Amino acid sequence: MSYILDGYNWDLTDPGSIPNLLIAHISITFVSVLIGLAIAFPLAFLVARFKHLYLPTVTTAGILYTIPSLALFALLIPFTAFSQATVLIPLVIYTQVVLIRNIVAGIRAVDPQLVEVGRAMGMNSWQLQWRVVLPLAMPVIIAGIRVVTVTTIGIATLAPWVGTEDLGTLMYQGFNFARSDMEAAGTILVIALAVAADLLLLGVQAALSRGQRVNALSEA
Amino acid sequence: MATIEFVDVTKEYPNAKTPAVDNVSFTVHEGAICMLLGTSGSGKTTLLRMVNRLIDPTSGEIRIDGVPTTQQDPIALRRSIGYVIQQVGLFPHLSIEDNVRVVPSILGKSAAETRDRVDELLHLVGLEPAEYRKRYPRQLSGGQQQRVGLARALAADPAVLLMDEPFGALDAITRARLQDELLNVQRGVRKTILFVTHDVEEAFKLGDQIVVMSEGKLVQEGSPIELLAQPASDFVRQLVGADNILRQFEYQPVTAALEPATDAAQERIAADERLLPALLRLIQMRNGALAVVRDGETLGQVSLASVFASVQSIHRNASAASGEHNRSADSAPVIR
Repeated sequence: MSYILDGYNWDLTDPGSIPNLLIAHISITFVSVLIGLAIAFPLAFLVARFKHLYLPTVTTAGILYTIPSLALFALLIPFTAFSQATVLIPLVIYTQVVLIRNIVAGIRAVDPQLVEVGRAMGMNSWQLQWRVVLPLAMPVIIAGIRVVTVTTIGIATLAPWVGTEDLGTLMYQGFNFARSDMEAAGTILVIALAVAADLLLLGVQAALSRGQRVNALSEA
Repeated sequence: MATIEFVDVTKEYPNAKTPAVDNVSFTVHEGAICMLLGTSGSGKTTLLRMVNRLIDPTSGEIRIDGVPTTQQDPIALRRSIGYVIQQVGLFPHLSIEDNVRVVPSILGKSAAETRDRVDELLHLVGLEPAEYRKRYPRQLSGGQQQRVGLARALAADPAVLLMDEPFGALDAITRARLQDELLNVQRGVRKTILFVTHDVEEAFKLGDQIVVMSEGKLVQEGSPIELLAQPASDFVRQLVGADNILRQFEYQPVTAALEPATDAAQERIAADERLLPALLRLIQMRNGALAVVRDGETLGQVSLASVFASVQSIHRNASAASGEHNRSADSAPVIR
């Protein structure tokens, strides 16, 4: 704990200080999940509509997920060198399998009769997706985002191996310099960040599920 | 208000042996409640869903005020037609207010613009806006949810209302209350209503017109009284309970038992009253007769003897008619 509590490590002007590493870690996670969502959403809606695409898409994403992160970093270094892209690309790839699965599961769990009601009310297909399908699928989608965010926070600790600083730096340097207090500080901060992010998203999930404990037709 | 015409409407599904809807033609007049009555699989819901083009007919057409629905954009058509289904189908993620304003909102109206309309509609269906506006569907009972369902269907003031067994999942008491409520609302709004039901009591209670469906075919169409008096087949006779004397008394007008007026008539009864109340009064009076009047003019009288005679003649006519008109869709002349 001494490392975390030492005021010297909270100096904002030092790029290697705790707050700056924390911000870097959050921003890497945030950007990865955001790009991941931007890719997964259209893919998932496509796959939910054209069902025969589901298996190949999820299988591909699943195979990519099994590639160890360090191996993926190594594969990318010839192309992206020690830039942030080398970290972000694997992180984004790893989000896909969970995100696509959850978005599709969320869409499929929407009661078809509610979609039919929307259609009968005169919604066009865009309005149906935006006003009915997406909000009703949201709790399941957010559940996926929670899993992905926590996983990404964890994998992002490997970023220092390819030259990007974040909370992983504390573990990396702690290991190199045999500083167990640094290692411990890194571990505690990463866990704290993961728990905080999870709770935050849990709150979002609860807020979005308002009035919707059952994701189905209201019982008579 | 709108008139709906069904012209030789047929719906066939590729893998089905018989058409789901088989060459059905009838007309629903402006402001009428038309009950589509039949067992499950009779094609009544398919017929209903063809009106707002959730399903398109294989052949034939449906005209609303003379315009074939197939010539209209399905999205615009659906927005102009109210729709209520059995499981209510309120959106669980939307508040009551947002549920009611679904159609205005997809038409681009803001919450502020529709606020008064939502209040008006919630009042109309008997829900206090201040109390219910912000609630969510699952916080409401089944009966209250169905009231919201009705309010939602009326939100854009459609001329036509489609109702697919809207009260089917409710308990008997709530159902009866909502049926009364619907008649009440209808007196104010005068929509042309197509109402699917398998409940004969409901069909008789709400319907100005009843269309009996079986195996995709229109078996008989007419007013409740016509169906009771002249069932076109044994199927209709059994379905409507034409042999049920109590139901005859409930739905036949007193004019069905008219006999020439005599001095025996001590009290008066309006010509549009049913036989049942007349009969009850005759029993209370122990005997005698009731003068049947319309607009102050005496048409004749009814007595216990004439009531019994009328019921017997209805039965004879019904038996005779069912022999001749078996399974024919022609509606027979009304007995009044």
